[in-house]
Amino acid sequence: MNIMKKFLFIILSLALFASCERKIDKFTASANGLDFSNFVSVGNSLTAGYADGALSRVGQGYSIPNIMATQFKTVGGGEFRQPLLSTDDGVGFQQVPGGIYCYTKMVLKLNPDKDCYGTPLGTMSIKPGFASNPDQGTLQGQLFAAPTVAGPYNNMGVPGATLETLFYPGYGSAMGNPFFTRFATSPATTILADAIAQHPTFFYLWIGNNDALASALAGTDMFLTPVDTFAKYYPLAVGALMGSGKNPKGVVATIPDITSIPFFTTISKQLPWNGVPLDATQAAQLNALYGLQGHPEIVWKAGLNPFVYKKENGTLAQLEEGDLFLLTLPTDSIKCRGMGIVDTTKHPLPYIYPIPGKYVLDKSELANIRGRIIAYNAVIRNVAKSQGLALADMNQYLPQFESGMVFDGVKMTTAFVTGGMFSTDGIHLCPRGNAIAANLFIKAINDQYKCAIPQVNITSYPGLIFP
Amino acid sequence: MRKITVLLLFVCLAATTSFGGGYQVGLHGVRNIGMGLIGTSLSYDASSLFYNPGGASFVNDKWSFSGGIDFIFGRATFQAKDENYQATIKHDVNTPFYFYAAFKPTKKLSVGIAINAPYGNRLSWKDDNGADWQGRYLIKDLSFKAITYQPTVSYRFNDIIGIGVGFVYATGTVDMTRAIPIQGATGDGSLHIKGSTSNIGFNAGVMIHPDQGWSIGIDYRSKIQMKVKNADATFEVPVSLSTSFPNNKVDVMLPLPANLDLGVSYEFGKRKQWMIGINLCYVFWSTYDSLVFDFKTKTPAIGRTANASLYQDQMIERIGAQYRINKTVTVRVGGYYDPSPVSSNYLNPQTPSLTETGLTCGLSVYPMKGFSIDASFLYLMGAKRSGTYSPDNFAGTYRTGFSIPGIGLSYSF
Repeated sequence: MNIMKKFLFIILSLALFASCERKIDKFTASANGLDFSNFVSVGNSLTAGYADGALSRVGQGYSIPNIMATQFKTVGGGEFRQPLLSTDDGVGFQQVPGGIYCYTKMVLKLNPDKDCYGTPLGTMSIKPGFASNPDQGTLQGQLFAAPTVAGPYNNMGVPGATLETLFYPGYGSAMGNPFFTRFATSPATTILADAIAQHPTFFYLWIGNNDALASALAGTDMFLTPVDTFAKYYPLAVGALMGSGKNPKGVVATIPDITSIPFFTTISKQLPWNGVPLDATQAAQLNALYGLQGHPEIVWKAGLNPFVYKKENGTLAQLEEGDLFLLTLPTDSIKCRGMGIVDTTKHPLPYIYPIPGKYVLDKSELANIRGRIIAYNAVIRNVAKSQGLALADMNQYLPQFESGMVFDGVKMTTAFVTGGMFSTDGIHLCPRGNAIAANLFIKAINDQYKCAIPQVNITSYPGLIFP
Repeated sequence: MRKITVLLLFVCLAATTSFGGGYQVGLHGVRNIGMGLIGTSLSYDASSLFYNPGGASFVNDKWSFSGGIDFIFGRATFQAKDENYQATIKHDVNTPFYFYAAFKPTKKLSVGIAINAPYGNRLSWKDDNGADWQGRYLIKDLSFKAITYQPTVSYRFNDIIGIGVGFVYATGTVDMTRAIPIQGATGDGSLHIKGSTSNIGFNAGVMIHPDQGWSIGIDYRSKIQMKVKNADATFEVPVSLSTSFPNNKVDVMLPLPANLDLGVSYEFGKRKQWMIGINLCYVFWSTYDSLVFDFKTKTPAIGRTANASLYQDQMIERIGAQYRINKTVTVRVGGYYDPSPVSSNYLNPQTPSLTETGLTCGLSVYPMKGFSIDASFLYLMGAKRSGTYSPDNFAGTYRTGFSIPGIGLSYSF
């Protein structure tokens, strides 16, 4: 039995030895000579970490450049300071006469479905709703309070910023943009000045979205930045960053088309442009009513009719195929008050009730906006090429998510809420969407500068949180 | 009295819980493991009932018993493509077992039963940083095992040729958990499936001893379609989506592939102290084209899903030798090459199938005539392999390593 014991001893030692081998080499990161020690990002809400209709501390933590900065740490990246808010529920606001009106971010909530009379139908639906309802004083206090960490701030993303506003002195003053006012180094400074004062060794610039989007969100093509203005300021912005002292390299990004954004596509998938079925009698009644109220140009017919909307110039028109409803469209008014046809609540006579133009992007507006985005992107691509900068082509990348892309078993699409990519506001990305965007930026940097910065594991970032 | 003690020992071994080590497990006899897992052309003990029923009637003893257990130590490592990310399977010790008993009522006839665990898979992926691992939407924990019970008849026409056939009754259990990419306040949703099934198949073989010292065996083990019907499927999802993911019953279909084995061995030397043999095992893996889940209560979110695997038939090549030092001690050595049945586009963390090379050694000690204590050691190296499970776009590099000591008893009289 002695030999048996020896044998057992040998195989047990072999077992222990063998089970600790068989490892795989870890990812070998390489900066390829680039200096990531002082990374500064410049941009708008998409850069700031704005999501769910507000800027929040938790959202800032998941900002695209912050995600990138965690990866840069493997190639000599330094601390990445952000102008953090104190609240995870966040603050968003809209301009109202005499000031601003604030609210928190939106989270998904389960609400009882009701009919037009407010009677519960017994079913429930998931809809975005405010995370909490603090008073205006509290919210404004949170918005204007100094960030919880001291500057200078590597993340110079300011929600609402356009290309031109990067250059606006006073954009951070009391009369400026509160999202910049809260962390600007002085009331007179500019976003770009605060960025270049940090002498970045590597920069990120994703700007221009609001030059088209701000107008599109208002349902119009009237507020688009002219192309020559864009072509003038974009090279200036890039030049200012490149000339900031440390001879930095950088990455820039193109502007997604608005049809890649659920804010502009969701309602039209559910509510057809010609969703007014009429019989001959109803059509005749509506024609009489519209004629009587001064709009004989609107003609109703038996069959499916388009909704009526009011253009920005005040004229009425019927929707055409390809016109888009915005996510803000009050669908309850369509369903219960006859919006787009006649206001059935008016007495003694129903009153014509066109959809306000701010809820509609018609085909010509859409074409102008899309054309403008194409022109902006041509400028961006040219500058990236001539300056030898990395280019994250978001405009080409996002459409691939319309039918969906799968990562690690997660299918991500541009669908609102269910797509798992956009946040509850339908415009900004959720953390997992930001991780995907950060990976595109990293890939662009790796491709351009032949470095090896690891991609992030997107499954470690949350998607939308369901109730 | 001694015989009874030995028999009791066997019963204890057979009663030990068992888990398979890979989807097809080759650990069916400690003596065979010692010599590269060959066995189709051998008729040394009751393990022939499994390796080649045609060989059982060539075993000379009236009664023969053989049983054992293997201890699978090892780990698999995953490195995500383009990421600074690793995860590992830290196996608990898996212990597949076997038990064979053969009886010869006449010199030419042998009857017996073989019980073992030829298929199984058990894994639990863990993130190296302690978080939920990256592939959790594909698989988190999986325990699948099949145990076969094979009553067998073997008949030897003469000293040259014998045939045998076994009826195979297989029981299988599956227990798996994966995450669902729908998040609530407490994190990801999950799906847990647990069920069991049974089915039948057969094992038939021919043994030929054409010439002094030479032995040729051919064996075919049929495919067994394991359809786990009405397994319990438990979803954990946010309450707002619970109607889309009702707790459910699910049918899971997983085929156990057929095997065609050809073995040739040659005994030589003084008193035939030496034996060397080779074994070619053709595994009909192409039967496993997808892992099918068919939920009974269907909703827009859940229905019938087929996770493509697209396995291809493969040949396992084995070689082994044994040397009888004296009446008390026999030593063995061997090796084998087991190519992966899956293409790089379907390499899946559910069964990280790598091309494996096994090196083996073994020993039998006979404290008394007819009774041996058998020991073996198998070191199994999975070649490093990069691939993507395309349907889920899950990409990375896998590497495995296993150390498998085994211990068994054989008794014949």
